[in-house]
Amino acid sequence: MTRAAVLRSRRRLCRAALVASFLLPGTVLAQVPSAGAPPSSLPVRSPSADAAPTFNQHIAPLMHSRCGACHRPGGAGPFSLLTFDEVKRRAAQIAAVTGSGFMPPWKADAHAGGFVAQPRLTADDVAVIATWAKAPIEGAGPAPVPPRWPTGWYLGTPDLVVTLPANYTLPAEPSDMFRIFAVPLNVNRRRYVTGIEFDPGNARVVHHANIRIDTTDGSRRMDEADPAPGYDGLMARSAEYPEGHFLGWTPGQIAPLVGPDLAWPLEPGTDLVVQLHMQTSGKPEAVRPRIAFYFSDTPPSRTPSILRLGSQGIDIPPGEGRYVIADRYTLPVDATLLAVQPHAHYRATLVRGTATFPDGRTQSLITIRDWDFRWQHVYRYVEPIRLPKGTVVAMQYTFDNAPTNHRNPQVPPQRVRWGQRSFDEMGDLWFQLVADGDADRERLRGEVQTKMTAEDYIGLETMLASSPDDTELHDDAGVTALALGRPADAVGHFRATARQQPGSAPAHYNLGTALTQAGLFDDAITSYERAIALRPGYAVALANLGDTLASAGRATEAIQRLEEAVAADSSLPEARNSLGAMLWRRGDLDRAERELKRALELRPSYAEAFFNLGHVAVRRADIKTAAANFRKAAASNPGWPLALTTAAWVLSTAADLDVRAPFEAAQLAERAAQLTARSDPRVLDTLAVAYAASGRFEDAMQAAREALGKADGGLAKDIAMRLALFERREAYVDRR
Amino acid sequence: MYAGIATSSRRLCGALALAAAICAPVAAAAQDGVRDLGGQPAHPLTGTAGTAATVLIFTAVDCPISDRYAPELQRLRDAYARRGVRFWLVYPNAGDGPAAARAHAEVFSYAMPVVLDPRGALVGAAKVSVTPEAAVFDATGRLMYHGRIDDRYLDFGLDRPVPTRRDLAEALGSVIAGRRVQVSETRAVGCAIVRDQP
Repeated sequence: MTRAAVLRSRRRLCRAALVASFLLPGTVLAQVPSAGAPPSSLPVRSPSADAAPTFNQHIAPLMHSRCGACHRPGGAGPFSLLTFDEVKRRAAQIAAVTGSGFMPPWKADAHAGGFVAQPRLTADDVAVIATWAKAPIEGAGPAPVPPRWPTGWYLGTPDLVVTLPANYTLPAEPSDMFRIFAVPLNVNRRRYVTGIEFDPGNARVVHHANIRIDTTDGSRRMDEADPAPGYDGLMARSAEYPEGHFLGWTPGQIAPLVGPDLAWPLEPGTDLVVQLHMQTSGKPEAVRPRIAFYFSDTPPSRTPSILRLGSQGIDIPPGEGRYVIADRYTLPVDATLLAVQPHAHYRATLVRGTATFPDGRTQSLITIRDWDFRWQHVYRYVEPIRLPKGTVVAMQYTFDNAPTNHRNPQVPPQRVRWGQRSFDEMGDLWFQLVADGDADRERLRGEVQTKMTAEDYIGLETMLASSPDDTELHDDAGVTALALGRPADAVGHFRATARQQPGSAPAHYNLGTALTQAGLFDDAITSYERAIALRPGYAVALANLGDTLASAGRATEAIQRLEEAVAADSSLPEARNSLGAMLWRRGDLDRAERELKRALELRPSYAEAFFNLGHVAVRRADIKTAAANFRKAAASNPGWPLALTTAAWVLSTAADLDVRAPFEAAQLAERAAQLTARSDPRVLDTLAVAYAASGRFEDAMQAAREALGKADGGLAKDIAMRLALFERREAYVDRR
Repeated sequence: MYAGIATSSRRLCGALALAAAICAPVAAAAQDGVRDLGGQPAHPLTGTAGTAATVLIFTAVDCPISDRYAPELQRLRDAYARRGVRFWLVYPNAGDGPAAARAHAEVFSYAMPVVLDPRGALVGAAKVSVTPEAAVFDATGRLMYHGRIDDRYLDFGLDRPVPTRRDLAEALGSVIAGRRVQVSETRAVGCAIVRDQP
């Protein structure tokens, strides 16, 4: 049966125009690599007690190694600080900003293992600068020669460079401005991305960039709806990080390329989504960033997982000077932490992330004591941090909504709740984790996804508390509730939309999908029929109606509606698959096979269609074909225990020796057992027969006993029968 | 208090025609090195008579904070020109020559007379030290206010999304109305004014 697909409305377009500015998390980056010697080896000499510091001897090496990557002609800084004249002209300012810690821009406390490319000035360096600024002398000898920075891309010759189709013109004021651009990438086949480099183009105004990818046309349509390049408002929900990776840019930082083992796949048709945070310069500015891509030819062997901790229930009273949010998560598997990225808006002050290890020891992961939303770095650890299973990662952020917080965008302060616009607040800490193996990764990803989706739902409820009639929020909340397996909540949200938009076919369709999942088939059927009445030939509604009729036991009507669905839209693989399954149930194997093969033409790695084709072959007693299809089902979705188990069963128990593949079967069954945490007796039973088929009778007996402990009824009897076989050193053959 | 001192010294200058040292801004004008963009001597502070007030805005060709104030300064100039206030844009840094200053003022759409102050005569008279910084003189040439334009910037890297106090406008309002300027001196955040070593 098809999983009910929910349509996401595109009415975001209308709302976007109303929103002045907003912020989103998202900036990656490590420090710009210095072209010269690494900073630590540069000869920064402390002046002796009796000698005044000079530019040539003391100041120039600091400026070149710690400041010059940005403060050079063409760099990201607003002015160059390489020569004596340039530095002397701003000596007092340099002393002030290094003394206050504003420069070099790095907000986090030092970390024991070190962060990648942290531009450090020691207390001694700061003191030398302060002394020199009072008497800025050049000193004897030739002026030190600045390092030679690359004139082109830091990361080397790119495989692809994209830019905006035209300049965006940033107005002269007011202060912080945000603009989102959807940039087509135009790759003609799947590529594996090892990194990107962002060139702000106009470093004078581009302050940082949040970067995402969008595999849908959601962002593109929002961009196209605004006649100027880009659009104002919120990023589409379909604009996401590539799985396991942060993307983005802050001045002075470039994320280093990852190895091909960690590359992320880029599919044709994907758009790059770039949200620029710009600070106006006082005159109109042309803005046209460029983004370079670096590809690898081989698929990755590992994919990191992204965990987001935080609260979307933020609700701070006006004047509250100390409002604290906290979140935590216990790692279910061993993992390695590569990087963290804190995100908050204007009012956050203290930002903390910690890890508490199973032995009780607690370590700081990130501490920022004076949060400034303008510097949203990704903090990468020089030595990735090992987090054993059972480690508790936690975040705690403090917000100041008092009038004494100068960064508060609201004067006087207002009640502020969670939201993505700049006058809302956010508080997230993102973790980039790598689990040790695929099974661990799946487990981590599944758990983390559920946790983050649950928090997303809280965020939607927070926004609905202040905008209870926002149908788009209700739609998002409904989709999210379905993802959380809370169809009853989804019904409530979609019903709210349908009530406000009684003439909207998608609204009734969405309500129908939620009702189906809530098991309220009769109501669901009514909703689908209303949607179809409003929009005759509404193919996805017909398909879901067919599925729901099937669930309600009305097979004949189900087949009729599914046939109408494929007639209305011949390119719906789910409808073909469902129709195939229903025809199989009726015994119409030839037509079933035809529909399922059609589904596979439309979607070549459609696991469910392979699985159903396998069952068609079983019904025909063609075990060889069945095995081939179950195997493809398992390969198409290696996270689907039923497909893995079914394939393993056939490959272990087939009477035909040509079909049998016991080693492969054992691997598939082991994977299924891992995915189900060894809790499903059918999976363990399959694991046992696979072991027995490969002659591993001890393992088989152990697995069978484990299965027996969890089974009852007929299954328990069957397992006991098989266990007796294994004890006699015999494998099990399924002769049905 | 500063305002009191300024008041009494002006009285001395005006009434007794005391030594040039006390009345430096006016008396030394001819040799003070202040030039317009054509290289001709300019005297922003000798023409204060008949104005409601004279405002000197100190700026630089390479100061981002100054530049961000350009639209606001032009708005202030447009609003107060109608009320008889004369605005001057002053480039005090020795390195900012006439060509660079002209180009800069054009790019940032300043519509007010521009002068260069390479010897710091106006800097001294206005008691300013950074760009952007403003000074307000009344019709008699008395310095009534000097300091920030508003309180948006608290420090480098710390600024308010919107200012809570518009000091220059406040001072101008008082001067025009003949009232006492409540806050006559504020600290401006910006780029240090630099001149060649003597």
